Amino acid sequence: MFRKILIANRGEIAVRIIRACRDLNISPAVVYSEADAEALHVRMADEAICVGPAPSVESYLNIGAVVEAARRLKADAIHPGYGFLAENAGFARAVAGAGLAFIGPGAEAMEVMGSKVSARRAARLAGAPIVPGTTEPLTSFEDAQLTAREFGYPVMLKASAGGGGKGMRLVAKEEELLSAFETAKSEAAAAFGNSEIYIEKAIERPRHIEIQIFADSHGNFVHLGERECSIQRRHQKVIEECPSPINDATLRMRMGEAAVEIARAVNYVGAGTVEFLVADATRDFYFLEMNTRLQVEHPVTELVTGFDLVREQIMVAAGWPLSFKQEEINWTGHAIECRVYAEDPENNFLPSPGRISFLRVPDGAGIRNDGGVEEGAEVSIYYDPMISKLAAWGRTRDEAIDRLRRALDEYAVGGIRTTLPFFREIVRDREFINGRLDTGFIQRFNERRVKAVEQTRGADGFDEERRDIAIIAAAFDYVSKQRSLSMNQRKDIEEQSRWRMAGRPALHSKS
Amino acid sequence: MKLIAEIAGEEHDVEIKREGSRVVALIDGRKIEVEARDMGNGHYLLKNGNSVYECRVERSRDSARSIEVNVGTDAFHITLTDPKRLRSLARAGAHSDGSTEIVAPMPGKVVRVIAERGAHVEAGDGIIVVEAMKMQNEMKSPMAGTVAAINFQIGATVNAGDVLAVIE
Repeated sequence: MFRKILIANRGEIAVRIIRACRDLNISPAVVYSEADAEALHVRMADEAICVGPAPSVESYLNIGAVVEAARRLKADAIHPGYGFLAENAGFARAVAGAGLAFIGPGAEAMEVMGSKVSARRAARLAGAPIVPGTTEPLTSFEDAQLTAREFGYPVMLKASAGGGGKGMRLVAKEEELLSAFETAKSEAAAAFGNSEIYIEKAIERPRHIEIQIFADSHGNFVHLGERECSIQRRHQKVIEECPSPINDATLRMRMGEAAVEIARAVNYVGAGTVEFLVADATRDFYFLEMNTRLQVEHPVTELVTGFDLVREQIMVAAGWPLSFKQEEINWTGHAIECRVYAEDPENNFLPSPGRISFLRVPDGAGIRNDGGVEEGAEVSIYYDPMISKLAAWGRTRDEAIDRLRRALDEYAVGGIRTTLPFFREIVRDREFINGRLDTGFIQRFNERRVKAVEQTRGADGFDEERRDIAIIAAAFDYVSKQRSLSMNQRKDIEEQSRWRMAGRPALHSKS
Repeated sequence: MKLIAEIAGEEHDVEIKREGSRVVALIDGRKIEVEARDMGNGHYLLKNGNSVYECRVERSRDSARSIEVNVGTDAFHITLTDPKRLRSLARAGAHSDGSTEIVAPMPGKVVRVIAERGAHVEAGDGIIVVEAMKMQNEMKSPMAGTVAAINFQIGATVNAGDVLAVIE
């Protein structure tokens, strides 16, 4: 087993890995940037080396400095966490080149999954379904018509040079195809100077569901079931849960097997996640991509399966076989996680950096909080503004939601804005409670919120008793501050006069 | 002490008297008696009868004029005015001459300047783009007018509270 691991990350994930190291009696060492000299992950580590200035390109992304730190500290292995260098094949090679173990898959698997084209090819070879689509531009309307018939409607027309929704057209039936084909082409020409378009099968109400897989260096492959991550904002996951509210054992088995085959095809070792799109109505699933690292949302899988994925990652990297077999994996209850960010939900989720003046973290039955900050910490402008991941476990999804709602209400952060108020609304939302999730959830939720605000406007919108209490607290605060201000002034005057009194006799005695 | 509290666009007259831990408040003539404990750092524990309210008073991050009072999970934005002092308790963001300052809400880097000095802008038009935490944030004009000043150039580092631009 390793004696010392260098953690090439910061924030909550560095803290999470430090804890797993402590469990295994491994000494945790960390790297940090100049901005993080007093950060929680540094204070919790046994050893720490500064690898550069605040901007991550000059510190946490500096491969040479990180590997050199590991060498100087005589670490046996490097854990990259997620983000930063976690999916950088060059880093994995540099770590191996320095004679250290990399806690993650081999560089080759990372490279295959790092490109959309090669990842899709690998998935197809492994027999996994991918979203049917043409890779070559359509040559004519007849070409479009034939391909659309082959895929089945609805289909999506997309500009080859595309992006930002321009040149994109959803076609529900064949009668709409001709006009959609022509507008998509002219839009693409106008927007990108290139009228080439291609066609893809459209997935209605797609759910984002991913499978956690694990493999060791002895050829064992398992899957730990799914996580549903359909609640996304700007393609960023916001809430994740395990299992999916669909909770279909057959679907889990089919998707799990597909994911394991993909991992096997690239000789995968360690923890990985295979992402799929699932059509809400038909439950057909399609390969999206594979993340060759530990995911942010891994705690929900841990809560439901009982396994410690980071501990397992370390064991596997040290050459041990997996500590469990596929048939030993059971899914008990339900877990939901919220990513709490220093962002202002009332102000278009603008980042809200600053000093955390007050922090009360929730606790109690079924609650797990993976945090990376303490009271007094500075949320800096340089890094991802996630403060913590709050997860709740319950025997049923309803019980998990009850606990999550309670914990979100208990969670208090002062000095900065957070996304907590946004989550407090989501866990009370009917569609969320009913598990009606797909990637359009946040957009519909925001529309419902606007309507709700419009309806309550005029009728004051808030509790009058609480408003009165707030006014009293504000006035009381003002009065207290005025009083201490005037007391300080009086003290100043008293001190001045005492000086004067002391000074006068001195003057007199001189004369 | 008599104060005026502005909250959600409405003004309320407030008069409060302290008698030890008892606070007698008159809000728009309604008498409310509470027990108040000052726990330091702007934290107050208020009891109205047997109902408990944990309150935190903070300076607002959006506007220099107001404070934010958290009562449990509810946040109230309040602007207090002391009529005796005949001015708002904090610096005003909007000036009496009708000009408005666009203030950086957080530290960051200017990555784009959209409007030029002298340009006419409508309310909601983007003026300057500040990048922080790898996100670009377009600072918009709160009113229609003319850009009187752009105080930073592309690449400049700005601190929270810096005046980025002035609209007249």
